[in-house]
Amino acid sequence: MTRRIKIDPITRIEGHLRVDVEVDNGRISDAWVSGTMWRGMEKILQGRDAREAWLFAQRICGVCTTVHAIASVRAVEDALKLQIPANAQYIRNLILIHHALHDHVVHFYQLSALDWVDVLQIPRADPNKASALAERFSSWTRNSREEMKAAKDKAARIVESGNLGILTNGYWGHPAMHLRPEANLLIFSHYLQALEFQRKASQVVAALGGKTPHIQNLTVGGVANAINLDSEAALGMAGLESIKVLMDEVSNFVRNVYFPDACALAGYYSEWFGSGRGSDRYLAVPDLPRDAHASRFDLPGGFLCDFADGAASRCVKFMDGRFRESITEDVTHAYYRGNKALHPWKGETVPEFTDWHADQKYTWVKAARYEGQPAEVGPLAQVLIGYMQGHALTRKWTDAALDRVSSIAGYRIGIEQLRSTMGRHLARAIRAAVLADLAQEHWHLLADNIFKGDNSTHNPPSFPDGEIEGVGTHEAPRGALSHWVVIEKGKIKNYQAVVPSTWNASPRDKNSVRGPYEAALLGTEIADVEKPLEALRTIHSFDPCMACACHAFDPSGKKVGTARDL
Amino acid sequence: MKRILIAGIGNVLLQDDGFGPCVVSMLEARYRFESNIEVIDLGTPGLDLAEYLSGKDCVILIDSMKSDRRPGTILLYRMPEILHGQVAPGMGPHAPALMETLLSMEILGSAPADILLVGVAGESYEPGCYLSEPVRMSVNSAIDIIVCELARLGAHSALKRSCTEPDIWWMRPLPVQRSQGAGAAPNTEMSTKIVLTGA
Repeated sequence: MTRRIKIDPITRIEGHLRVDVEVDNGRISDAWVSGTMWRGMEKILQGRDAREAWLFAQRICGVCTTVHAIASVRAVEDALKLQIPANAQYIRNLILIHHALHDHVVHFYQLSALDWVDVLQIPRADPNKASALAERFSSWTRNSREEMKAAKDKAARIVESGNLGILTNGYWGHPAMHLRPEANLLIFSHYLQALEFQRKASQVVAALGGKTPHIQNLTVGGVANAINLDSEAALGMAGLESIKVLMDEVSNFVRNVYFPDACALAGYYSEWFGSGRGSDRYLAVPDLPRDAHASRFDLPGGFLCDFADGAASRCVKFMDGRFRESITEDVTHAYYRGNKALHPWKGETVPEFTDWHADQKYTWVKAARYEGQPAEVGPLAQVLIGYMQGHALTRKWTDAALDRVSSIAGYRIGIEQLRSTMGRHLARAIRAAVLADLAQEHWHLLADNIFKGDNSTHNPPSFPDGEIEGVGTHEAPRGALSHWVVIEKGKIKNYQAVVPSTWNASPRDKNSVRGPYEAALLGTEIADVEKPLEALRTIHSFDPCMACACHAFDPSGKKVGTARDL
Repeated sequence: MKRILIAGIGNVLLQDDGFGPCVVSMLEARYRFESNIEVIDLGTPGLDLAEYLSGKDCVILIDSMKSDRRPGTILLYRMPEILHGQVAPGMGPHAPALMETLLSMEILGSAPADILLVGVAGESYEPGCYLSEPVRMSVNSAIDIIVCELARLGAHSALKRSCTEPDIWWMRPLPVQRSQGAGAAPNTEMSTKIVLTGA
């Protein structure tokens, strides 16, 4: 019997995403992903001073603030062909790294761990055994019996009180939850600790960016930070040292808690390396430039279209010619006028709502395509591309992760199996470990450059009279982000943001090719159509943030799943 | 001394959702505060809200609300109403996060003891960097309520001898008036009026 299930909303916090799946004999046989509201946020930027675009862009989305600010300021600099000083690159990089580390830790513990961890099992756990288990995985100092006992008591109190609070919406007791009590306790104890460490990552962002959640230090041409080794008011010795202390604490948490936990979860749930494969084509943009010219990057970018072939094409500039030309947005199945696939600089956003029709229009998200085909973006894309290109840090942490996972699972799990629901979680942890290493690297680059006597942070822009075009990219926590700007006499004429979730949550295109979420859901087993936990696991593995994909939010909706017979 | 946070919440690009950030900017322009009081425009912090609330004894949040009440009506909530989901926040992605944030802070035992949510019933949450007329008229009421709440908490705020210009950058007029296109002219007007009300 075929049943169609509508899951709406699907995210815990971020905006409004609806998924319709057809379940045939306990497996998903088809899927449609919809962003259910629309706002033309880009229109707000039209007519504004290009120097201020980033201020507005970082308010587009409540979750990914910093990333829009950076992509926006880079877009304007690209249009002006304006180089920024090395110090500005490093300061921006340190902000981006810590924003990403914050985001990845929040995603793992706050937004997806409870898809896998059954809180109701925790009161049965033995804190001694949980502590011993934790010590097998890591030398983290806060894995003691006492820590585990305190976390257990906390969970027990919540469960006994019958008032689950934040934990109310979990699918507790679902047959697809099978961690033993001690493993549940271990990850729950770190869920509590994560709140403390994610704050430290934000403090790094605030120390350099002036404020969070909305940074204030960007400017077209660099950053507004003043550098002076001898001044308390400017960024100097004392400031660099205090940032380093916070950075070290964050890195320590990522390496000794998040990374081992993700590997353990992946080892225990290794069957999820066989589900949620997706579109099989991956896109990442290079990031973390090492010099003023942005001629070398510490995070590799490229395009991987044939995994078996193993060849990932390389993108060596922020936006090389091939990338610039290859991106289009198709609106065949999205609620916009027209059916042409348009390049973002030519992008039109004329809404045309027609209700939900599986074979016609069914979403507010446009179908982003690379060379006419869908592409998955995000940590998995970046890790696969980096691995294929032989990027040393990516190889180091990927190999370490696969060894750990394989030893827990009891059989070999290879790089090819990362193309899966669990692979996305593991790739995010791998990326976090790579970023934690790169944080140290870029702190030293900054400190060395300052000690050499370079205090410059800003090259002033000057805007020509004619029309200019630019694109700014950033490999954001959720993947490749690009802002496309057309400027005339210093004012914004057209603005389009192609956000990561536009790639991943994209609908079918004119050739009826499914987007990555849709493709990943195919074949997923659903044990209980009333509680479609498995579908949620796969969607959550992408770290969905619909807030900016459809430029829209709606807070209503308490239901997680509704099912009906087809 | 009590550690107090005054935070404006909302998306400044969605008209009345920008109420919180606007109130906070006006408040900072008119009042000076003791060092135990932090005043901040949090925009749309989502789950990160916990990071700002943690370590505070008392929190005053200013936000827009989804409500059937007349637009501009000020709605006040304390902890029990928020935790029991009796609050219908406005349109930002921050919306469901307030309750979730406080619930997760409760688990950690770090939730602030005292919380006041100063809400306003919004009229429009369409894109636009300005407030609707009724909501704009309620900015001063919200400021008065905040000042009263501070007094109740035994904290001190003082009117500045001369007001500084509020930094409501998102309402600044567009650099060039376009011959067509929505938003340009009203923006200018809104911006001016807000500043005058504040001064």
